Amino acid sequence: MRLGLSQRQAALIALALVVAIALPFAFDARGYTIRILCLGLLFAAMAQAWNIVGGLANQMSLGHAAFFGIGAYTSTLLLIHFGISPWLGLIASGVLGGVAAFAISLPTMRLRGHYFALATLAFGEVMRVIGNSWSELTGGPVGISVPFAKPSFAMFQFADTRTYYWLMLAAFIVVTAVFVAIKRSRTGYRLQAIKENADAAEVIGVDTTRTKIIAAIVSGALTACLGTFYAQFQYFFDPDTVFGVASVSIRVAMIAIVGGIGTAVGPLLGALFVIPLEEAANQVFSAQVAGLAQLVFGTLLIIVILVEPRGFIVLWQRLVARRKPGAPS
Amino acid sequence: MAVIQAILDGIMIGGVYAVISIGLTLVFGVMGIINFAQAEFLMLGMFVAYYAWAWLGLDPLIAAPLAFVVVFALGAAVHQLMIRRVLQAPVVAQIFLTVGLLIVLENAALVMFGSSFRSVTTPYQTSALQVGELFVSVPYLAAFLMSVACGVALWLFMRASWFGRAMRATAQDPMAARLMGINADAMHRLAFALGVALTAFGGAVILPYLTVSPTVGGQFVVLMFTVVVLGGLGSVAGAVAGGLAVGIIQSLSALAFPIQLQNLVLFVVFIAVLALRPEGLLGGSR
Repeated sequence: MRLGLSQRQAALIALALVVAIALPFAFDARGYTIRILCLGLLFAAMAQAWNIVGGLANQMSLGHAAFFGIGAYTSTLLLIHFGISPWLGLIASGVLGGVAAFAISLPTMRLRGHYFALATLAFGEVMRVIGNSWSELTGGPVGISVPFAKPSFAMFQFADTRTYYWLMLAAFIVVTAVFVAIKRSRTGYRLQAIKENADAAEVIGVDTTRTKIIAAIVSGALTACLGTFYAQFQYFFDPDTVFGVASVSIRVAMIAIVGGIGTAVGPLLGALFVIPLEEAANQVFSAQVAGLAQLVFGTLLIIVILVEPRGFIVLWQRLVARRKPGAPS
Repeated sequence: MAVIQAILDGIMIGGVYAVISIGLTLVFGVMGIINFAQAEFLMLGMFVAYYAWAWLGLDPLIAAPLAFVVVFALGAAVHQLMIRRVLQAPVVAQIFLTVGLLIVLENAALVMFGSSFRSVTTPYQTSALQVGELFVSVPYLAAFLMSVACGVALWLFMRASWFGRAMRATAQDPMAARLMGINADAMHRLAFALGVALTAFGGAVILPYLTVSPTVGGQFVVLMFTVVVLGGLGSVAGAVAGGLAVGIIQSLSALAFPIQLQNLVLFVVFIAVLALRPEGLLGGSR
């Protein structure tokens, strides 16, 4: 097969897809659970987009909120001021996100490791400060609302939460397909080479900077598109939420890492674990003490890093290997 | 005159920035790790000083050594339990361990202390000295002088004591240091504990003119990184120069831009320095 999947893998994926599509019928169409699933899928897609830069190119971005926020504001402002359908806004978001990623890549892509993380962190903060202070454009710190229209596909607004679920699922599948396509492409092998040894890759003729910039543009554009999805799903957001370091940048990176960085399944595993856990922690604790849910979240990150920084996937493989005595671990 | 006044103010706050950022550069120099949670130790130092004032009636300037000691012990524990274990790990583990620590410390503080903003009252809080046409705010001056004293003490420690020399040796060549009988692990622990304790000390001395809350660290994160990157990551002398530079940039940009955009200038400087001279403005070719 062209995709290079074994029959068993193909069957598993087909089964997972059927279950994923049918899942919403098990829940109340306007209920709480389905909203959590929507957010879980959205964050899985974002973590997958982050994975293109973080997992494949091994560049630890702490600034993906910049692209996410750009996407959320682009489509929403186009809708408010010009009545442009969010579907067209989605395209504009992707373009702007890609341009932003290109602009920030030029000065930062030569940086490695800690330096790159620092530079992207600052870039995200620049966007947050702009979002908060350029009130004429963004509405400032009070936030911005997506105007309600009559629910219709053309206006990207739906009364039934299940429709959002299927859209988020589609978004996740598209981003994952892009991730897999890049991973198996020539660019993917170049990225792999850069990850293993950047100097060696350069020596054998890989244009490392160019390759990393391509990865960054794709990742930034996809993240911005997901910002539009978020805006249409939540109907309201403010600069601190969509440009937030903890609420977006760290969270998407963490989801990819907890699940399994650099793998296609990792972001989904991570999101389906982290987002419901966070929601549950919010439900249980927040009534009493603020911050406790976040405390759980940070502790979890530390534990995963200390126990198995390659994430749940490798942890699972290790467990399976231990169960089968004699199998190579 | 306004410009000279701004530069003077900049030097006063810049001296404090230098002390709170030295720890960051010290840890990077000795262990090659960037502690993203560094600013949270500043917040802890402020809280130690706040409670020393609220419960014991101690002035924050007097409580600063107490903040140093408490956070030093905490830092040693954090190193022992966490940091030590990722020294050989991939960069992703190093970055996200301290990011996790940042989230934990901030929210643990939120759970323990609540989200309200607190400040101390001191007799000198609103007083200022007049020199010619220039004014020097007394709390700024006091914080600056405490920072200078702390910086000099650190310099003496690094120069003259056996520990200081052993720590510098470990930073230069861990293998050779180990062969000379230096316990590298102990030196790392000392560097990390000392680094976060210095930041906490800085937090205590600025308490007279700032308010403390669990999220106060967020205001300092990028600022501290700008300081150390300007001076060259890993260079203690660079952090002092970087601190003064950031203080002056900040207070001069306050003359030209509205207050919300003050940090923006810093961020842009920060990204520009990273892009153009990641070894720092003072650093040689490395």
